[in-house]
Amino acid sequence: MSTAVGIKVEEHFHNAEQQRETAKLGMWVFLLTELLLFSGLFVSALVIRVLHPDSVTAVALHLKFWIGATNTAILIVSSFCMSGAIESSRLGLRRPMIFCMLATAGLGVLFLMLKGYEYDRDYVEHMTPFLSFRRYELVGDPASRLFTDLYFVITGLHAIHLTIGIGIMLVMSWLASRPHFLERHQNRIEITGLYWHFIDLIWMIVFPTLYLLNR
Amino acid sequence: MPPELIRQLRTPFLTMLTLLALLGINVVLGIFFITGDMWIAEVAIAAAMVATVIVVAMEAHKEPPLIRLFAGLGFFWVAILFTLTMIDYATR
Amino acid sequence: MNPSDAALRDLRVPAPVLAVPDDYLHVEQTLGSWILTTDHKRIGILYLVSITGFFVLGAIAAGLIRLALIVPDGSILSNDVYNRVFTLHGVIMVWFFLVPSIPNTLGNFLLPLMIGAKDVAFPRLNLLSWYIFVIASLFTVFVMIWGGVDTGWTFYTPLSTQYSNSYVLTAVFGIIVVGFSSILTGMNFMVTVHKLRAPGMTWFRLPLFVWSLYATSLILVLATPVLTIALILLFADRAFGLAIFDPANGGDPVLFQHLFWFYSHPVVYVMVLPGMGVMSELVTAFSYKKIFGYKFIAFSSVGIAVIGFFVWGHHMFYNGMSPFAGLTFSLMSFIVAVPSAIKVYNWAATIHKGSIRLDTPMLYALGWIGLFVIGGVTGLMLASTAIDGQVHDTYFVVAHFHYIMVGATVVAFMGGIHFWWPKITGRKYSEPWGRVSALLMFIGFNMTFAPQYVLGYMGMPRRYAVYPPAYQVLNVLSSAGATVLALAYIFPMIYLIWSLWYGEEAGDNPWGAKGLEWLTTSPPPKHNFEHTPMVDFDPYDYPNVTPEK
Repeated sequence: MSTAVGIKVEEHFHNAEQQRETAKLGMWVFLLTELLLFSGLFVSALVIRVLHPDSVTAVALHLKFWIGATNTAILIVSSFCMSGAIESSRLGLRRPMIFCMLATAGLGVLFLMLKGYEYDRDYVEHMTPFLSFRRYELVGDPASRLFTDLYFVITGLHAIHLTIGIGIMLVMSWLASRPHFLERHQNRIEITGLYWHFIDLIWMIVFPTLYLLNR
Repeated sequence: MPPELIRQLRTPFLTMLTLLALLGINVVLGIFFITGDMWIAEVAIAAAMVATVIVVAMEAHKEPPLIRLFAGLGFFWVAILFTLTMIDYATR
Repeated sequence: MNPSDAALRDLRVPAPVLAVPDDYLHVEQTLGSWILTTDHKRIGILYLVSITGFFVLGAIAAGLIRLALIVPDGSILSNDVYNRVFTLHGVIMVWFFLVPSIPNTLGNFLLPLMIGAKDVAFPRLNLLSWYIFVIASLFTVFVMIWGGVDTGWTFYTPLSTQYSNSYVLTAVFGIIVVGFSSILTGMNFMVTVHKLRAPGMTWFRLPLFVWSLYATSLILVLATPVLTIALILLFADRAFGLAIFDPANGGDPVLFQHLFWFYSHPVVYVMVLPGMGVMSELVTAFSYKKIFGYKFIAFSSVGIAVIGFFVWGHHMFYNGMSPFAGLTFSLMSFIVAVPSAIKVYNWAATIHKGSIRLDTPMLYALGWIGLFVIGGVTGLMLASTAIDGQVHDTYFVVAHFHYIMVGATVVAFMGGIHFWWPKITGRKYSEPWGRVSALLMFIGFNMTFAPQYVLGYMGMPRRYAVYPPAYQVLNVLSSAGATVLALAYIFPMIYLIWSLWYGEEAGDNPWGAKGLEWLTTSPPPKHNFEHTPMVDFDPYDYPNVTPEK
């Protein structure tokens, strides 16, 4: 059953069009800052690679390639679900939209579960040099600590962003389940969608940087 | 599922398949083709995936020029960070 | 008549009801209406109060530094305390005063007015930005006074990650959070300028202050996240032994510096660009003349913002970076001076043959030009790797950046506050006192910092509590100057606040200046304009006045 689609215009805007474009530009600018944030980590990874190529390769071979690859695929599918939510919201289809958003969040949770399992395996395999009480697997190669620790920082930061994204998705699903949401706030689904796609995009850079390129 | 939705979902669905395919290629390269210079191809494929997400999934191709400018600006700035930092490390 | 009759009669007469004007200051006056406001004008004032408070704290720290340096043997403050004091001074002044100063006070207040909008693009984010700023900065300052940080505001590794025994982790955490405030402001301003301009307000009809705020916001958005990452990595290195900056494990301390200065160099342009924007407004209003070279100045603002990202290595010439990279950064640093110089020439050309009024804001503006040129030229000297080899980490550098940060940014901030004070508060300040303070600023500032150029060239290192006695005379001169400079800050605080109650009421446009903000009442109504302005005029459309010979 489709409902009317629109946005409630706030008082400092002239019309809905201006509000939509403003919100969209605002999200793109915000994503710009996120890109720069992660890029600081990527450039650090490149520097470590240039300084200690063999140590980095040694670490990369210890990382769980298959979990990383599967997680990439999970995020790609979740992005498809997010696109589904956006398209549904544009057509005013409330139930498919909520279903898609919950599916997106669910896949995000699946990613986090696999990540948690991966961290657990890292712990078991003694690949956690930042834990001073635990022996480190590659202790003979001190430079390898750099890349291993960086792996935790990058994936940890990404996981935090993903958790925030899942939280937003669940809150948005709850808000959207109430009546008249799409008439007043359809915009928000589009903006949330941009953020989710971006989380996916960052992971598409993380996966090669950490797991793939250094093998 | 109403037919309009299925029609609208064509592009996202093809995008997903493209991305999964590119991922698959990279995975295969990563397992079976570990030669010195393969990273060039792997980076190129990853770049293609990133570009696909931005242009198609985030609909940058439909957006007004301003948004496209901002999307490009980000990567240009990342390039500045990388290039000037690596000038130091590459010439030490 | 019985006195009690009069009293009884007064009881029967209703108390007079003063007509409360409905401008943004008076329309609601509860505490809640202030701390929950989404009105950009009120948020600007909230920021003004906050940064003034931090300025006072940072100035006290500066006073302690100058006090300690009166004697060469470090007997006034111990080395540890001295380290904590100059770190406190740097952190407060850079992040909690200079970066938010003009953009978040004057910028917040004026940006929507100047473009003919009712508010910024995201008013609630604007308020959130203030909350983040206040909470995180108070937290950081508290930590730094409670226990102190002794690494200098630059937090170089491995001192900050391994050897320092001070509260680095908590202070760094606070600064990371304050960064989000900058990012939100930058985002808000950029989107506002793109999307909320009044009909007819094309890019080339914008006041140059708006151009400079846009360029500033561009830097805030692109540079701050990299600082966030640098500090996150520093936090992780110190807290978890990340080792990325630890040479013993193959890490590189210089990597921290690359990430740190990628932000911290552009941030000095965040400090100076809004000041340049204010300059454009002041020289036009007080020469009663159209700006010379509008497009040159507009494009130079963006040019400074962009090229400013290419130069960060000039802070690192002698830290182990490759000489080839040093050459590149040196060349870029020379290039970045060009747009700044272009602006100064254009302002000089604007003032030339203008109808000049030497009111307080103009005195600040004229002082700005002199001080900025000195600061800028010494910056060029520092950009040359050969000279930098001699004066790196000496007082020459300290003098250079104070000429820009105080001589340019603070002077412009004072000039702007005086210029727009009638608009913001509806009151005029005392002009004679204003002129005295402007003069004191110029004299006191030069007395404080000019000797430091000489000290640095003669070899006195920075961040040292103890120095050879041969340097004492200049140090004492510098400290004496600091007391004069302190007066230049104290007087305006007194007479500006006094004017809030006793100042003459200002009309809509007491200076006779051009610009949309002067077309509305002083203070403006809550929604800025009664009707959305239609802009079909150029900025600074003063009549070009050529005085008769």
